[in-house]
Amino acid sequence: MTAATADELGAPGRRLAFDGGAITAARIDATGRVAAFALGDGSVRLVPLAGEEIITVGAHAGLTLALAPGIDGGFLSGGDDGRLCRIALDGTTSVLATFKGKWIEQLVANAASGTIVCGAGSNAAVIAVDGRPLPQPRLLPHPSTVAGLALDPRGRRLAVAHYSGVTLWWSKSAEQTPVKLEWGGSHLGCLFSPNGQFVVSAMQENSLHGWRLADRADMQMTGYPHKVKSCSWLTRGRLLATSGAKRIVCWPFEGRDGPMGKSAIEYGPEDAGSVTVVAAHPDKDLIASGHDDGAVWLSRLQDGRAIRLANGAGAPASALVWSASGATLAAGAEDGTAALFDFRTPPK
Amino acid sequence: MSQVPVTVLTGYLGAGKTTLLNRILTERHGKRYAVIINEFGAEGIDGDLVVNADEEIFETNNGCLCCTVRGDLIRILGSLMKRKDRFDAILVETTGLAAPAPVAQTFFVDAEVRARTRLDSITTVVDAKYIQQRLDDTSEAAEQIAFADMILLNKTDLVSAEELAAVERRIRGINPYAILHRTSRCDVPLDRVLGQGAFDLERILAQEPEFLAVDDHDHHHDHHGDHDHGHPAPLRHYHDEQIGSLSLRSERPLDRERLQRWLQELLATSGKDILRSKGIVSFRGDDRRFVFHAVHMTMDGDFMAPWPDGAPRVTRLVFIGRDLDEAAIRRGFEACVAA
Repeated sequence: MTAATADELGAPGRRLAFDGGAITAARIDATGRVAAFALGDGSVRLVPLAGEEIITVGAHAGLTLALAPGIDGGFLSGGDDGRLCRIALDGTTSVLATFKGKWIEQLVANAASGTIVCGAGSNAAVIAVDGRPLPQPRLLPHPSTVAGLALDPRGRRLAVAHYSGVTLWWSKSAEQTPVKLEWGGSHLGCLFSPNGQFVVSAMQENSLHGWRLADRADMQMTGYPHKVKSCSWLTRGRLLATSGAKRIVCWPFEGRDGPMGKSAIEYGPEDAGSVTVVAAHPDKDLIASGHDDGAVWLSRLQDGRAIRLANGAGAPASALVWSASGATLAAGAEDGTAALFDFRTPPK
Repeated sequence: MSQVPVTVLTGYLGAGKTTLLNRILTERHGKRYAVIINEFGAEGIDGDLVVNADEEIFETNNGCLCCTVRGDLIRILGSLMKRKDRFDAILVETTGLAAPAPVAQTFFVDAEVRARTRLDSITTVVDAKYIQQRLDDTSEAAEQIAFADMILLNKTDLVSAEELAAVERRIRGINPYAILHRTSRCDVPLDRVLGQGAFDLERILAQEPEFLAVDDHDHHHDHHGDHDHGHPAPLRHYHDEQIGSLSLRSERPLDRERLQRWLQELLATSGKDILRSKGIVSFRGDDRRFVFHAVHMTMDGDFMAPWPDGAPRVTRLVFIGRDLDEAAIRRGFEACVAA
């Protein structure tokens, strides 16, 4: 059964409530067996999708800030104790790196290339390349704190967002001169387009900035009432879905010009709360959205139809992620509640 | 979600900020505080909710040149609010040299910070023994005093009564409106420092009698008659201090459109030099009191409860700034009085 028929499901999903502050991130492991939720008490909760027993991993001292899929299965987590941890699916935890006095809030990993990078103050720290941890993290310096990190789909290129722009590095090279994409203001996050032609950053001023890498042409995507905290590529990179408005704002990235001179398209419910998180289905033209009232919706691009997967409990949705196969959607909220939606379950 | 109050603590290294922070963290008051300290100062502050900040300032792209904010604070406050363990208040310590404006403006500019926290007050710890020297040598010392809602004039036990009076006169020349506590080892009850609501429009209104009283008896300028220009509320400043204050009043109601246009223009053109301003305004044909406050160009204002029956409707504006053009400001204000 596919998500296209999800509206026939009565009340799909398994509800969870964690006593641990806000859910700061959610992931599903590469094999689709375990969902992980990062919490405001320093823990990571591992939820087997086909089982009842939840494992609580005391990964960090105060607050778990970041969660990424591991490069050899399992998960990676970063915390306000400066630790970067590797968490196996059975909960076994080891510390990969420690940055004293820093918050590990930015963390990316790419299984294909075996790359792990985290932000540590104004440095981007390359922790592992080719699937092996470096003896010492390789520190890539920036003018201000690393506020966003992204790896391209092959894991070769690294983008780092900071004040006044985005810096591009080769993730494997020890000696290199980085490419500086400049644009005034505070850049809070960044991502590569799947075809590697564009880099997009989210800015403090409720907007996105983009660069076409071929000629460094600038583009601005504005009109948001809130900051854009979440972006997701749809239909293999033809559309960029974003949070930050009443509905899901999608920018066309087809062709050489990307969104330059084009308008955004809106999807999703018209009368729900503002969109706080988005997650595009890995291969179907479906987009899940989490809202500031806690509701979770699923929208279909084909006909613009939106169905509600979950009513909000009130607290804003803060995390949303699909499994690699698209069979499971995990959602988390600022009050520690979470939900798992299983799209393999036949409708009643 | 209720907003967590944030107190900003400024002052030079050695003035006593660390003493105050340690008292806040160790005294038995049944409350939990998170403390954000700067990277370089504050050795010897311990607690489970002490966070290091990098004091990273950026200019926002909103066209306002002086509108600088602290990006590190936006991040830290955002994450603190996700923690399971809640706290009653947050303290932000700044380095001795830091200007308080970017910290204060962060609370105006960032919508998420505004939604979850509120600026409670800017409190400046001043070393009674060395502040005169600091004021002579640096511009930051005067700015920290000018920005303050509350001043802890500390180490008073290290100076004579005459020296203390002279320091206090100089401080009052820069900022006559802040609440001032004389302390040694920052020995002021914490409930008189925290929970001040200095940026709360309701609170500004509640303090109206004091707010209005400041200029009515000129107790700080007794020995500086040469600065008394003979009309009520002259520009106050101390000798050749660049930063001074100006108070304006009108017993006649103002024209709403004219005042709003004038204030906007004044803050847009001179907001760089006007560090803080506040006001309670009576508009013609409106029984409600308009209350505002601003840090540089970022202003927050609203209509509040009506004037009390029978009470005089006196409009009062105060400005603290650098090289204020008294005549021009006064002229602009008087042009707003409704015909």
